[in-house]
Amino acid sequence: MDARATERECQTFHGLVSAMPQAWFPLHGAGAALVRPLLAALVAACLAAALTGGLLRLGVVLPWAGTAWAGHAAAAHGALMIPAFFAAVIGIERAVAIKLRWAFAVPIGAAAAGLAHAVGLPQAAAWIALAASLVFVGVNVEVVRRQPQAHSALLLASAVCLLAGNLASLGGGAPEATLGFWFAFLAMTIAAERLEMTRLMRRRPGVQATLLAILALLAGAPAVGLWQPLPGGVLYGAALLMLALWLGAFDIARRTVRAQGLARYMAVCLLAGYAWLAAAGVAWAATSMGLAGRDLALHGLGLGFVFSMVLGHAPVILPAVARIKLAFHRGFYLPLAVLHLSLVWRFAVEPVDFAQRAMAARWNAIALVLFALMVVFAALRWRVLHKR
Amino acid sequence: MEERFDYDGPPQLRDLVTRALKKVVDPEVAMDIVDVGLVYAVRVAGDAVAVRMTMTSAACPVADMLVEDVQCELQDALPGNPEVDVELVWEPPWTPERLSASARRFMGW
Repeated sequence: MDARATERECQTFHGLVSAMPQAWFPLHGAGAALVRPLLAALVAACLAAALTGGLLRLGVVLPWAGTAWAGHAAAAHGALMIPAFFAAVIGIERAVAIKLRWAFAVPIGAAAAGLAHAVGLPQAAAWIALAASLVFVGVNVEVVRRQPQAHSALLLASAVCLLAGNLASLGGGAPEATLGFWFAFLAMTIAAERLEMTRLMRRRPGVQATLLAILALLAGAPAVGLWQPLPGGVLYGAALLMLALWLGAFDIARRTVRAQGLARYMAVCLLAGYAWLAAAGVAWAATSMGLAGRDLALHGLGLGFVFSMVLGHAPVILPAVARIKLAFHRGFYLPLAVLHLSLVWRFAVEPVDFAQRAMAARWNAIALVLFALMVVFAALRWRVLHKR
Repeated sequence: MEERFDYDGPPQLRDLVTRALKKVVDPEVAMDIVDVGLVYAVRVAGDAVAVRMTMTSAACPVADMLVEDVQCELQDALPGNPEVDVELVWEPPWTPERLSASARRFMGW
């Protein structure tokens, strides 16, 4: 079966636009023309700041590292990445899906929080992020109301995790608990989507209940960690590992990896991500017991698992959200390979050789830049293929 | 060929409609929307076509794209460049029973 059938141009699509749901930003006229590119630019700036800050922490000095905002970004790397950048991206995705104008308050708020971090107002940023995540809970209540099923409920639970993480960051709790909630938001968002897809496969009884139990542990462990960091961390690591095993065993990627083109590429991204999720789970538990592996715990999870999902899903989500048609090409495997190989390099030298780790991290970032280039190439390729 | 959705319209157009809809593919699973069972009903009356379909998830941002593809494919396939109205519904909810035999084989049922 060929996924390329969707990648065609509609030339006969006149007079119907008004009947169509407005894509990606349901505002009209001058407002939309102004807000859309502004929001896109803000989200991109959040990612750029988050990456700059992350690299700076490892001693990679980019040409603009001397600026004040780069310093702020280094201090707020995690907050820029999850409750700002990812909350904005996932907020846009959800708002597009449910087509409610007020839902766009989530990405606008999350991106504004990122901006506040970059200009050195962390306290204001945390409050704005908290407000955005409160609205995000409301958005997901609406998703559950429309489709009262387990995967919708998980999306709501993921929003509550984001809210809990933002509360914990304001309350000055253990940073591990804040990070635990934030990563639980991402892991649960991904798990909800994967659970929904498993409905295409024959599902043995108990499989869904097992996932729900694992995710309950994932959300509950950071709460334990607020008071008891050691058991909280071990439970959290165990939940991550079990989630990886569940996904490896039951995800449709095991089937779709035998397909071709985009479907196979997505499956490869998913399966590679699950391997990092498992490794990060073990490392998370180990770190909480005072052993080494904190970089693997945080960045095996953030880069190996979450960004691998991003690389896999962007070729599908971007066309849907930004209305840019992409023609999939094998070049997409290049950033994927660079990302995963540079992660192996990064964690293999940790923590002995800081220079090597910085070099490997530089390649982590290069992988993301390469990916952006592949997206541009795919958009151009689509135009060439559909030139009439 | 098994009947995958309710059809109301000129019998000679039925195959054309089915073939057009089978060109719309869910990119993640590499299966078309007819095989996945997302199409509930198609009505062709004169130069107006009405489609009722669903998605597996209400939180899926790809929905608009699939709806647009359905409109494109039907307009291209049917004579007279008809107006195509697609209604996205959540009742009845999609269930795995709606998968076609070939989709089940691919998914290892």
